[in-house]
Amino acid sequence: MYDRPSAQALIDGARLHLETLVIPAVRGDPKLYFQTLVAINVLKIVGRELDHAETHQIAEWAGLNLIEGQDLPFPALQSERISALKARNAALCTAIRAGVYDQTESLILEHVRQVTIAQLEVANPKYLQTLAHEDHLER
Amino acid sequence: MTSFQQKLEHYLADQTGQTVTIHKLTPLAGGASRDSWAIDLMIGDQPEKLVMRRDLPTTMNTQALTRAQEYTLMRIAYQHGVKVARMRWLCEDPAVLEFPFFLMDYVDGISIGRKVITLPELTQARAALPDHMAKQLALIHTINPDQPAFRFLQRPRHHDPAREAIDSTYEMLDAIGAQIPALEYALRWCDRHAPKPDRITFLHGDFRVGNLLVDQHGLAAVIDWEFAHIGDPAEEIGYLCMRDWRFGNDRLHAGGLTDREQFIAAYERYSGYTIDRSRTDWWEIIGNIRWAVICLTQAERHLSGRDPSVELASLGRRSAEMQLEALRLIEKAGVNHV
Repeated sequence: MYDRPSAQALIDGARLHLETLVIPAVRGDPKLYFQTLVAINVLKIVGRELDHAETHQIAEWAGLNLIEGQDLPFPALQSERISALKARNAALCTAIRAGVYDQTESLILEHVRQVTIAQLEVANPKYLQTLAHEDHLER
Repeated sequence: MTSFQQKLEHYLADQTGQTVTIHKLTPLAGGASRDSWAIDLMIGDQPEKLVMRRDLPTTMNTQALTRAQEYTLMRIAYQHGVKVARMRWLCEDPAVLEFPFFLMDYVDGISIGRKVITLPELTQARAALPDHMAKQLALIHTINPDQPAFRFLQRPRHHDPAREAIDSTYEMLDAIGAQIPALEYALRWCDRHAPKPDRITFLHGDFRVGNLLVDQHGLAAVIDWEFAHIGDPAEEIGYLCMRDWRFGNDRLHAGGLTDREQFIAAYERYSGYTIDRSRTDWWEIIGNIRWAVICLTQAERHLSGRDPSVELASLGRRSAEMQLEALRLIEKAGVNHV
């Protein structure tokens, strides 16, 4: 294990550096200032991804099993998970485009919605909060 | 070495036959794909204020029009009575300022979307904007798309705008080799529910808050015409209703300014046409899908090493926002349940 400091702690260190030292120094340069804010946000995304990736991959795998009516085991090796998920998603894409799921589309919609929400929990949780608030108001 | 400013002064002196002195050159904030300046100057003893827009090779978007094409169609829009800046000079000679550029009259106003939606001093403008926008949009849609000067405009293959939008989105997706089930599902849904070709008109192509100059009275000028094309006028209404163009004022679907129904009713009043709501809904859905795919395409510029940029890279992760929005809209529009 590379445990001290953890990847999460290293990213936090880099983010803190940008926030406390770089940002005040680039306030006079709007373009650089904006790009630095983007870089800070990117580090936050990576931090959340480290927290959630495995849970999300397991859920996505289970969703694909459900769609395909299969019971494939989630790959034990981390290095195999991404390539296995990519291959299954590629096959699903081809099938969707060919119209295989036209009559059972609600199954696909539910799965892709869950996967997209998971992506946003990493990429932009505030966006999900805004949508939840809006849905609450409309109810 | 002759400076940028001196070169521009020489060019304008040649064009006007008068002495030209530039007092101030101010870079204008705008999208990443263009170089724009506000210019304060004297032409003879006449004070003037102009805006210059220039093509930059590194920032050229292959789908966008060139400066010469944009000049042509803004001139035609102006003659047609659309609120747009008066075009003054077009220069395509690279010897003058390296790249083609044009000059137009300066129009005062704010174009930054978030400011238009939130600034307290624009409260009155916001109340007037939906009506102004509906009126301008209806007028833009009456510009003759078949005039000879418009040969360069993109037209939908087989006169079928919905089919064109679906096909070109698949092409964009395949060009970057992206295989994302959410996008495939949403596109498949669009394919199965595509509206039949109906009225085909000239379209601005990027009509929304953010591409309008707004002053305290409302709409001062329509800007950024580089995505003009020919298509279904419902595309333009669905597009401006997209969540991302509400700039945080999410409950007012038409540009963060008013509700969709009110805006469409105003457009119908000005255009004399009845708009099929399911058609604008469809265009709003595919608008989100296209924006989601464009985000991935932008990230690809970084990933390929052509344009290394943390900003482009991070856009890739924004794609999921538009994907989820498309899925939510599809569910509202109706899906088959098992």
